[in-house]
Amino acid sequence: MSDSIGVHAHSHSHSHPASSPDEVVRVSCVKHRYEDGTEVALCGLDVVARKGQRVAVLGPNGSGKTTMLFHLLGLLRSEEGIVEVFGVDPARHWKDVRKRIGVVLQNVDEQILAPSVLDDVAFSPRQYGMPEPQVRERVSAVLARLGIEHLSARVPHNLSGGEKRKVALAGALVMDPELLVLDEPFEGLDPASRGELIALICEHAEQGGTVIMSTHDIDTVPEFADYCYVLASGGAIVLEGTPAEVFAHPDVLAGGNIRPPLLAEMFARLRALDPGAPAPELTVDAAARALADWKCGRA
Amino acid sequence: MLHRAVPGAKLLAFALVLTGVVASANVLVVGGIALTLVAVIVALRLPWRPMLLLALYPGIFGAIYSFAVATDLLSASLIILKAITAALVAVLLMFTTPYPQVFAPIQRVLPAVIGDALLMTYRSLFLLLEKFSHTLTAVRLRAGLIGANPIRSAATITRSLGGVLLYSIDLSQRTHDVMYLRGYDGRLVVTPQPSVSAWIDRGVAIVGAAIGVMAVAWRIWWPGLNPYAWIPPLVAMVLLVVALAWRVFRKEPV
Amino acid sequence: MSHIHIPDGVLPLWLIAVGWIAAGALTALAVRRASNHDLRRRIPLVGAMAALMLVGMSSEIIPIAYHINLTVLAGILLGPWLSIITALIVNVMLALVGHGGVTVIGLNTLVIVAEMVVGWFLFGQFARVFGRRRPAVSAAGATVLALIVSTTLLVGIVALGGSPAATRESGAFNPATLSFANPFGGGVVTNVIVAPQAEQPAPKLPVARFAIMVYLLGSVGWLIEALITALIVGFVARVRPGLVFEGASAEPVRAPLGDEGTHT
Repeated sequence: MSDSIGVHAHSHSHSHPASSPDEVVRVSCVKHRYEDGTEVALCGLDVVARKGQRVAVLGPNGSGKTTMLFHLLGLLRSEEGIVEVFGVDPARHWKDVRKRIGVVLQNVDEQILAPSVLDDVAFSPRQYGMPEPQVRERVSAVLARLGIEHLSARVPHNLSGGEKRKVALAGALVMDPELLVLDEPFEGLDPASRGELIALICEHAEQGGTVIMSTHDIDTVPEFADYCYVLASGGAIVLEGTPAEVFAHPDVLAGGNIRPPLLAEMFARLRALDPGAPAPELTVDAAARALADWKCGRA
Repeated sequence: MLHRAVPGAKLLAFALVLTGVVASANVLVVGGIALTLVAVIVALRLPWRPMLLLALYPGIFGAIYSFAVATDLLSASLIILKAITAALVAVLLMFTTPYPQVFAPIQRVLPAVIGDALLMTYRSLFLLLEKFSHTLTAVRLRAGLIGANPIRSAATITRSLGGVLLYSIDLSQRTHDVMYLRGYDGRLVVTPQPSVSAWIDRGVAIVGAAIGVMAVAWRIWWPGLNPYAWIPPLVAMVLLVVALAWRVFRKEPV
Repeated sequence: MSHIHIPDGVLPLWLIAVGWIAAGALTALAVRRASNHDLRRRIPLVGAMAALMLVGMSSEIIPIAYHINLTVLAGILLGPWLSIITALIVNVMLALVGHGGVTVIGLNTLVIVAEMVVGWFLFGQFARVFGRRRPAVSAAGATVLALIVSTTLLVGIVALGGSPAATRESGAFNPATLSFANPFGGGVVTNVIVAPQAEQPAPKLPVARFAIMVYLLGSVGWLIEALITALIVGFVARVRPGLVFEGASAEPVRAPLGDEGTHT
């Protein structure tokens, strides 16, 4: 991956040329105007997700992350700009791509459709006409993968927040989607569940799937994301790069009202106090090792 | 046990019993049907509290309607009882069958747009009732429903109604969005539930037919039958007592 | 008084049949028009409005057994084609729970559709005159006129049905003799417990008298409904103008999600 970070200002909207064949998602200067005058302009940089990538879209509340995801899902239609998922406009051709996309939205309660966990997870495969024995097989497999088979006969509304999220995730994964779209998936999860979710995301990417998610949980980002896009308020896409690259620009982040991860900030201050301090590490393990090495003079 | 019956049989029974209830003009006949349904609920260990509560709600509709047209207490009771009984049948169906299994066959015979709208109405109804009761409670706590100033109360209520309206519209749209994202496109697709026991299916259909036919026959030949109008409620009472005894002495669910 | 409170067995069969046929034709047309993509995406709105109308009709804001219909409100938000579908669904569900007769579903649908569509149309016209900044005024005017139209339709139906129907409709109360007529005519119900009684003759009431009474009593309802509709429409127009002014042809209107974007 190249070192350069695509921080550049645009004074007019345009799309970047040449999409490569393994491109799964592309969002290029999409503007949306809500009823009450709220405007979201996802311009500045193109948001691209490639096959096998785990992309995080960062930004504070109010920056348009959910708007972008809704465009990807075809729920909002763009009149100008480009939105492409698997090469087509999802708003106009949702049926062509829906089986390849799994979604978990922010509000889990609104996503539960059926009176039992099993029926809820089985909703999609049944709607697509899959024969029942195959449906049962897939549902058991995905419930086992998420560790919730014991909940299969339960009523989803009575489950805890974390369990509900797993049910929603199971519903998204049951069709073996190539692309996972997640909106604030870590919201309300306890640390154990958060770890499980991260493991799942990495597993999905290892098997060739793509993940694009929005989050404002900055500290977790380095643990699961290959690539980040940073949105500022109003939807402007101001920064892109790997987590290390992105978090090395605290000034840009601060301008967009984003606090860099605690570790990044710590290393930055450490550098300011002592120029010999080690390079920033963004995961706890790596940071501990770097500091230990530095102390022992092995930096 | 009703859970195991095929949805088609249950829908048929539902339609037949409902026809009987709607056609009937005899308070005791309808009362008998209502008691029989309660007996079923009791015998099958279904959650009677929420079911009865839901069934009583349309009684309010019935009461409003009867205020406009009924002439005496008896005809008013008939209207209200019909409303409650019809609701009981519906509740019995909905509590023993997952809603996709209920709506899929209905949607198959209707134009796609109407079937879709029917499903959305069903889902919106529950969301709205919950939200409305929360809001009403809040208003009641704050301003009193019909307090010292009925005009201001009305204004407060309508303003909260506006909020509830928007909430309900948004929620309905989001529910539809989620269904759309997961593959729904106006018609629910369900895998037909295989028949567990032909006897249960037939039994349900036959009982439904019996009730429906009895009610309709009673409506047609009422001059001759009415003197015996005490029989249906009595039979139903007996069934209810038997059901209660069954519940008490047999611990496992059916 | 948009919902006809006429029980079954009162109106002549031919009138009932006409009602069903006309409602059926309208519905078929509406289904055709609503099946194109844009209107189909607004089906959730139909669900929400139908549910609202059902709930509204059971809520008594003023405790004189007047219930709000919210029909004109729904008509404004839905537009004509979706209104027809909504009216049908609401009527069927109301009939099933006992609020209204089953045979008169056809006629009921026609009356409610008239109310919704006239209300929608008039609102559009008034909005052009009074401007978008005063939607409450347009809504109030549209509601009153739409209700007058539907009440007139109601009187027309009753007139076509003959005098006995007139007596039975208006709360079955005969102001001339200050007595109630039995809508179930035949003592079918009273036969149950007491000894069989002779069939009660239905008192005659000229349609004109009925009409006057309905218009007088109805006008109170019209004003209340107009006020409520105006308040709600005003509220919605401020917060989500697209719902109110664009009609049913626009894309589904979505609220900004969680405080997104910049506010102009």
